[in-house]
Amino acid sequence: MEKISQSVVKKDHADKMSGKSTYVGDYSNEGVLTGRMLRSKVARAKLLSVNVPELPEGYCYIDRNDVQGDNNVNIVMDDTPVYARETVEYIGEPIGMVCGPDRAVCEDILSRIEVKYEELEPVLDIKKAETVFFNYEYEKGDIAKAFAEADKVYEEEFSTGYQEQAYLETQGMMAVPEEDGRIFVHGSLQCAYYVHGAVMRALGCKPNEVHILQDVTGGGFGGKEAFPSILGCQVAVAAKKIGKPVRCVFDRREDLEFTSKRHPSLCKYKVAVKNGKVTAMDIDVKFNAGAYTTLSAVVLQRGIICADGVYNVENLHVHGRAMKTNTTPSGAYRGFGAPQTFFAVEMMMDHIAKDLGITSLEFKEANLVKQGDATSTSGIYHFPVPLPDMIDEIDKACDYRRKHEGYSKQQIGRYRKGIGMSLYFHGAGFTGSGERDHIKAVAKLHKYADGSVEILASNGEIGQGLRTTFPKIVANELNLPLDKVFYNHPDTARVPDSGPTVASRSLMTVGELLRRAAIKLRESWIDGEEQTVEERYKEPDFIIPFYIDKFRGDAYPTYAWGACALEVELDTYTGISKVLGAYGAFDVGTPADWNIVMGQMEGGFLQGIGYASIESMNYDDKGRIRNNSFSDYLIPTAVDVPNLKCMMHVEKYPNGPYGAKGAGELPLVGAPGAYVEAVEQALGNEYRLHHAPFTAEDTILALSGKEEKR
Amino acid sequence: MNNITFTLNGKTASYDGSATDRLLDALRDIYGMTSVKCGCKEGECGACAVLLDGTLINSCCVAMGAVEGSTVVTLEGYRETERFAVLDKAFASVSAVQCGFCIPGMVLAAESVLAKNPKPTEAEVRDGISGNLCRCTGYNAIVNAILIASKEGNGLW
Amino acid sequence: MVNGFVANSLQEALEIRTNHNVVPYGGGTDLMVENRPDVSYLFLAKIPELKEIKADDQYIRIGGEVTFTQALESSLVPPLMKEAVSRIAAPAIRNAGTFAGNIGNGSAKADSVLIDFVADAKLCLSSVRGTRVVDIDKFYLGRKKLDLQSDELITEILLPKTGLENYYYKKIGGRNALAISRVSFAGVLQMEGGRISSFAAGFGAVADTVLRFKELEAMLLGKTLAEAKEKKSDVLNAYSEKMVLTRGRVSAEYRKTVCLNLLNDFMTEKGI
Repeated sequence: MEKISQSVVKKDHADKMSGKSTYVGDYSNEGVLTGRMLRSKVARAKLLSVNVPELPEGYCYIDRNDVQGDNNVNIVMDDTPVYARETVEYIGEPIGMVCGPDRAVCEDILSRIEVKYEELEPVLDIKKAETVFFNYEYEKGDIAKAFAEADKVYEEEFSTGYQEQAYLETQGMMAVPEEDGRIFVHGSLQCAYYVHGAVMRALGCKPNEVHILQDVTGGGFGGKEAFPSILGCQVAVAAKKIGKPVRCVFDRREDLEFTSKRHPSLCKYKVAVKNGKVTAMDIDVKFNAGAYTTLSAVVLQRGIICADGVYNVENLHVHGRAMKTNTTPSGAYRGFGAPQTFFAVEMMMDHIAKDLGITSLEFKEANLVKQGDATSTSGIYHFPVPLPDMIDEIDKACDYRRKHEGYSKQQIGRYRKGIGMSLYFHGAGFTGSGERDHIKAVAKLHKYADGSVEILASNGEIGQGLRTTFPKIVANELNLPLDKVFYNHPDTARVPDSGPTVASRSLMTVGELLRRAAIKLRESWIDGEEQTVEERYKEPDFIIPFYIDKFRGDAYPTYAWGACALEVELDTYTGISKVLGAYGAFDVGTPADWNIVMGQMEGGFLQGIGYASIESMNYDDKGRIRNNSFSDYLIPTAVDVPNLKCMMHVEKYPNGPYGAKGAGELPLVGAPGAYVEAVEQALGNEYRLHHAPFTAEDTILALSGKEEKR
Repeated sequence: MNNITFTLNGKTASYDGSATDRLLDALRDIYGMTSVKCGCKEGECGACAVLLDGTLINSCCVAMGAVEGSTVVTLEGYRETERFAVLDKAFASVSAVQCGFCIPGMVLAAESVLAKNPKPTEAEVRDGISGNLCRCTGYNAIVNAILIASKEGNGLW
Repeated sequence: MVNGFVANSLQEALEIRTNHNVVPYGGGTDLMVENRPDVSYLFLAKIPELKEIKADDQYIRIGGEVTFTQALESSLVPPLMKEAVSRIAAPAIRNAGTFAGNIGNGSAKADSVLIDFVADAKLCLSSVRGTRVVDIDKFYLGRKKLDLQSDELITEILLPKTGLENYYYKKIGGRNALAISRVSFAGVLQMEGGRISSFAAGFGAVADTVLRFKELEAMLLGKTLAEAKEKKSDVLNAYSEKMVLTRGRVSAEYRKTVCLNLLNDFMTEKGI
């Protein structure tokens, strides 16, 4: 094991374990006003009037008229308002906020505000949606020729549903007017500088007139990548107007209904096969973006880049669209578009294999990419593709090949077994040239006179261990004991912008900057003196430049690779598929800390299994999300997948610290393909499944012949 | 006297609010026990779990009137015990704490498991924490930590 | 105490129930989800008489404020009831939830109530006026409608001492723990002299109340197992016709299919 991989006691363990950590909801109530949101009750309407009753002393109603700067929250684009403009576009859209000392009084005031709407016809069905927020298309090779010459052409459609991040700590932000005139915004978030940029615009103030601190954050998973910018603006506007601290922490029901979740998808695959190999794919991807654009452009980009999976498809055409519907805007969630298309391509390959009369694994293996092959966007897989070894590791761990063969025989009993395997990658880091052209990360080290070293960066600890792994890297290069190096929660007033905590980039990209900075510091170290060193991102030389207009080049510098198998036992009487075993093999390069990275693999893998099986969420015919409580949106408990085993396969990435590469998102990505393939096998050889989650109810309907039979 | 009297982490506490107020809110807002977290407010996640008369319950589902004459232990009290020290070391050794939000409830659930069953099987540990949702860890490290504590905490439970 | 009363004896509780507008509070696990702001609670958990589990000549008597955890630890509670109760939610809920509360909430998803139905349990309803004993299936009048007077408390649940040994139970929730029942089924078979003396099949969570169809159960009475086996498909068809279900969290199709599958499996397992 690499020295860096040796596990240490996490630096934030003690405070969190003893309950001393202060999350945004834990700050004292004293002098703090509670903010409660007035939300649209209809999915689409003109806002005719908002009639606020006379307010008691100390209570205030804030809406777009109080926004000091622009009433736009910058999330890639500017269409999301701080508070609703002339129209409302989804049920729950914030129209205004009631602020005051007593929450119950705020709720009472809310219930007495009269809102008049002129209702318009909402668009709720992605199939009927007309507004296309983003439209991308790319291709390579000669699609027409390949289809003309194919032995057979397959066409299928796949869909995936919402997934809610379900971080245990709900969204929450607090804004405090400071004595020096600055507005201080802090809360549960992932990207302090994103919030900074947004709040600055909303307040119409200079960069140094507002600063953002990330509090101890109780889980993010992407759900706190962009959303806190909105809530941050809302409380900042209120706090500045009123002159008092304002805090808004969401209820769970509020969070489940009205915050961003994974884009539902509809993917059409047309695949040409010749001589047992895939020669072409023509793919159409539709993501349900909800009412505003937010991150849909980037989610869609990643989704369509991954659309052909881990396969060498020389002739490829991909068309992707993010559609507007009058529903809660969709956003970032671990995997960021990839889980949707990987599910589709894995099931497509599985179905083709069945038609060809070979096992899905054999068919997939025959089409795998190798080091040196071209990527979907005509970049190159510069580094080893360890999938064959990882497949063998999985096979050894759970006897995959033999079981798959056994379960493919006719099963007629009450209990039927199935085992599925999914192969996938996660493009490590920001898509395309974003890291080089937009983020331009800067990280610093500050050495104090006493020889302790502080890391200055903006990446946020959200449970993934940055407050430990960043110091480990720096301490290692400086030959210092770990307790001499520390990383606090980022405050934009103190730290440079090292970029957002997204895209599995923090450890790989910023960690590497810190490693280089540490070397610089070590080489220029002067005992007893305060020193600061800075390191800026430089794109590695080997990267083929990526052009987003043509989707050409290296979309990612490298890839984390995954293979997972799910074995289920299906009870045909109840539809329930018991997970007998979940086995994941993950190559995320050198683990920066074995226990920490393993914890990420296990946690992500279980989230993916939930996405595939029990995490069902949809909205009713009015556009309101039905699953608005934890009794209706079900995430796995400790007894749902008791047999979950993760293995790490290490292919070092030379440009990541000690060979580490992007890790956080990978383990979730492939679970749905493996799970649904397993259920499909258990149901019987004539079944073809096309959607995730595939629930017990779906299973009973399938057995009753109501759907999904070929 | 209208007050509700109970014992909080070993000290007498007197509550003069409504008997229908949630124990969770009283603990956080009146008594400053912010280790007790609110994850859902409907008993579906276990983040707010505390020990009421030694039994694990979700404080969001307890009205203050039900606490009259009872003892309440939160992590603020429990973290002073030897048993906590064993759990602390065990959780640290496998890095079972990620975002930390489920942890206060999870620690008290672990105590509840071991208090009833000092040498639980893995299945019994999982069942004992089945009401505590964790979104970060996938549960394996937490389960291992509790099993380690059970092994190392000889005689304490 | 503001907005609440703590009763230390049953008599005290009944008097408060009569004289004040209160909501009886057992464990709080249902009440506190909504926690209506304008109510007064009558806290019952400290009443010793209501927390006893006893056996007399005929019945196992479970006090209304007995918690599910208590029931699981008792040697008197029948295994069928224990199995159902062990699947409720999670430990923290079972530590607080009570039998009276499970009934009083009026929901067909209540896991202990399904067992009450197949066991033909009786309820003791007490007030200052005295105690009346009611059959469980007469107590449930419709969705969330109970034959409970405003001055009454559910003080005891009476289960038959014998006859529940040969049972079948299945709960289907959305996951393995912390799950509200989507479909639940309990079946109990009794034989006397080689003939079926009792056949009970209860379906929970699929309608406004727990469902039993005693007229269909009667189809198998007096038969040997072999004779019953011949009648099995008639029985299943009769149930299929009788069970007109609507959509809940899951489709009517799912509910009905699973109910019939479990009924079938129950019969098969018992040799029918």
